[in-house]
Amino acid sequence: MPDSRFTPSEPPGTEHLFLGNEALVRGCLECGVGFIAQYPGTPTSDIGETYRRVLQEQPRLRDYITHLWSANEAVATSSCAGAAWAGFNALNPMKHVGMNVASDALSVIALNGPNPGGLVCVVGADPGSLGSHQEQNERFYAWMLHMPMIEPASPQECKDWIKVAFLLSRTRDIPVYFRMTTRIAHSRSKVTLGKFTLPERKMGRFERNPAKFCSLPPYAIDNHIRLYHRIERISREIPSLELNKIVPGDATTGIITSGVPFGYTIEALHQLERDDIPVLKLGMTYPLHEKEIVEFLHDLDSVIIVEELEPFLEVDVARIAQAYGLQVEMHGSDIFPKHGEFNIGLVTTCLARVLGEEPSQRIARARELHDGYKAIIPSRFPTFCPGCPERAMLMEIKKATGNLTDPPTIIAGDIGCYVMGIMPPLKVSDFIICMSGGLSAAIGMSKKVSEKIIALIGDSTLMHTGLPVLADAVANDANVLLVVFDNRWVAMTGHQPPAGKGKLSIKALCNAMGVTWLKVVDPFNVDETIGAIGKALTMDGLKVIICQRECALMASRVMDRERRELQSQDKQYGRRSYQIYNCVMCEKCSELLSCPAIRRTVDEFDNPVMKIDEDRCTGCGVCAQVCPHGRIKTTIIHPHLDAQLKIRRIEQEYDRK
Amino acid sequence: MTGNELGNGKKEFHPAMNEETNHPLNIVIVGTAGQGVITLKRFIEYVAMEEGYKCIYGSEMHGLAQREGAISSHCRLQREVSSNTRENMHSPTICHGDADIVIGLEPVEVLRNAGLLCSEKTVFAINSRDIPPIMVTAGKQSYPSLDEIQEILERYSGGEHDRIYFLNATKIALEQLDDAQKMNMIMLGFTLAVTGLSFSMDACNKVATRELKDSKMNEKAIELGLQSGKNLKHA
Repeated sequence: MPDSRFTPSEPPGTEHLFLGNEALVRGCLECGVGFIAQYPGTPTSDIGETYRRVLQEQPRLRDYITHLWSANEAVATSSCAGAAWAGFNALNPMKHVGMNVASDALSVIALNGPNPGGLVCVVGADPGSLGSHQEQNERFYAWMLHMPMIEPASPQECKDWIKVAFLLSRTRDIPVYFRMTTRIAHSRSKVTLGKFTLPERKMGRFERNPAKFCSLPPYAIDNHIRLYHRIERISREIPSLELNKIVPGDATTGIITSGVPFGYTIEALHQLERDDIPVLKLGMTYPLHEKEIVEFLHDLDSVIIVEELEPFLEVDVARIAQAYGLQVEMHGSDIFPKHGEFNIGLVTTCLARVLGEEPSQRIARARELHDGYKAIIPSRFPTFCPGCPERAMLMEIKKATGNLTDPPTIIAGDIGCYVMGIMPPLKVSDFIICMSGGLSAAIGMSKKVSEKIIALIGDSTLMHTGLPVLADAVANDANVLLVVFDNRWVAMTGHQPPAGKGKLSIKALCNAMGVTWLKVVDPFNVDETIGAIGKALTMDGLKVIICQRECALMASRVMDRERRELQSQDKQYGRRSYQIYNCVMCEKCSELLSCPAIRRTVDEFDNPVMKIDEDRCTGCGVCAQVCPHGRIKTTIIHPHLDAQLKIRRIEQEYDRK
Repeated sequence: MTGNELGNGKKEFHPAMNEETNHPLNIVIVGTAGQGVITLKRFIEYVAMEEGYKCIYGSEMHGLAQREGAISSHCRLQREVSSNTRENMHSPTICHGDADIVIGLEPVEVLRNAGLLCSEKTVFAINSRDIPPIMVTAGKQSYPSLDEIQEILERYSGGEHDRIYFLNATKIALEQLDDAQKMNMIMLGFTLAVTGLSFSMDACNKVATRELKDSKMNEKAIELGLQSGKNLKHA
């Protein structure tokens, strides 16, 4: 049964629960989007996931709608431009740092314009770094690239406004910046459906027009001038789009805000019993409609801008106030933090201060109580799952290098689950930059230090931007050991397929690129892997070790599915697990692996021991190979059985070729 | 505070149950990645929809928070939509001190991610099975005992005992269903019994059938939790 929220037969006007990201997909299905390309990245990954599911459940739609997982964001954006130039509405989701990658392509696509189709870039910002390695205010790209920017504040607006974005893109020949944040992308509420609309055609047509599509001089300058005209025209049309609204009030202090901070602001004002304060909620945050801002500011003595991260609206509103000679006191980044995510409590406290109101007793007491005990809360940072092949590999690297001291070894980290290697107790990445930044930096460093360098990269990151770096490392004869985690999934973002999954071989690729020393290892064979690392480090030049094991989370999901299947048939089954017998508390398993399935506890005589949680152990067997006293042994949990459950091995046929 | 008998159609008194104020019912669900926090949150939202709540808004945590990390979800339910927009929910997250119910799938996570949201009105339903963070296993930090956690949570209510309920739901899930993943639905049943959250079993079963894969096992899990909760209340 297909999910009725995304079917053509579900009548307009029906209400359903949608995540912000899902609502956005529904909106695209209501305005005939025919093409979607993206590289997965939190918080926008589930846009593509939702599309995948919809197209799987309703194969008929595949004649009209194409969804691609792209190798990286620049590829995805240009792919979308290609589809737009063939006449389709193209959707291009990316995370905030994806915009850094896509901006190269967008700086030209904005000049050319997406017509005859439309192009909307959905950018998932991440204030507070909830699902990213950093936070950045990527809104400034809208200024730089002259992309009109729309910011929804609820799932309903995600759905309704993506349609406005496409209308604008199509009628004004401009790519539109649809700015989500992690909070709105992953918030869920009721959404009222509109009419399902398929693209008009299955296939489009490209018409040659070098002046439009080749932005080189002199066309580049002409298109730049045309871009100014396009954005100026849009700035005049803003009121007709009905994206901005005022929640009225008769106080002489007003607030300008947008997106989720609007929600925090309204509830904060209600708590402070200041419902008299007018609030201008901007749906379009670039360009601003100057007249609208001036009219709002006109009767105010002071205005407060509520926005997360670096002041963006504040700068533009201040410019307008100055240009029109308005005497209005302005607050924003002086009272709100310029980092992290906001919430009602924070906004209430900051507003109370500037409005001279009593801060809420309840908020103050909640903070005070929490502050009183938070020191006793043990920290819990993300770490490798039980049975993770990456944990095993990092342990093996540490063992092979005498804890990175013998030979002295530097670890170049990268973006992927292995980024968690920086956390204690493993602590195995010395620097991290961006996608494929690790091997890149290792190339330079290897020329200027005498230590060994091991660079880490995942299969998906290698396909994202790693291949040119690999070519560079070969060409420049970098003295680096590259470890490729070939786990067959873009694991960290929720298991999308990496580019080339099932079609290309990393081993063949490395060989073709001129890598002369390469070994494929199974990280669950501890001694063999340590041996391979040791051998590689004795040699000069670029060496590659491919660490081949499927992501444990995915592999155990497959195993769980098998178990539920057996359960439903009332069959008996066994599964491999490990137990610790007569633990001597040397703590080596914890020190070397820190597997979450192993806990510190006490035995029946109250002596401290390590114990394996059978429900969490996936049976990888690495701890048994690591225990110096041989106290960890395998057990079969249910001995009388119809079937044996076991972690699957990934397909390797195409590597053997 | 006096409670009505459970099981006779009447629900316990609870500040948030006072529907005359139309203040949102704020539920916080915390745990660690992979415990089923999001599934439980969505399940509650679906049941709330069945039960006729007009406004449902809430926030989930995806992405980097997986991988054994701390997870929290906020779920906000409002009976009616007010014609005054300023009286409606606009934020997907709950304000400090404004949580009515905390469902803790892991004990120490209640302190970490729910603590800031609690006040004297908060009722806690907590799975007592801990998942020690790796720094605890490494012996570098210590995990507070359940007694300590109880003592801390009692500070919110000024020492009242009828606000904090523990159940080893993971143990029940493993022993009776051979599936640790069913712990979240056991905790839902437990929450219904001890917090006065007024969802009918009919609505729960309807949603389980529609939204979950092995609905029979999940219905059984909810029932197990409900019974455990009732037994605890009457003990």
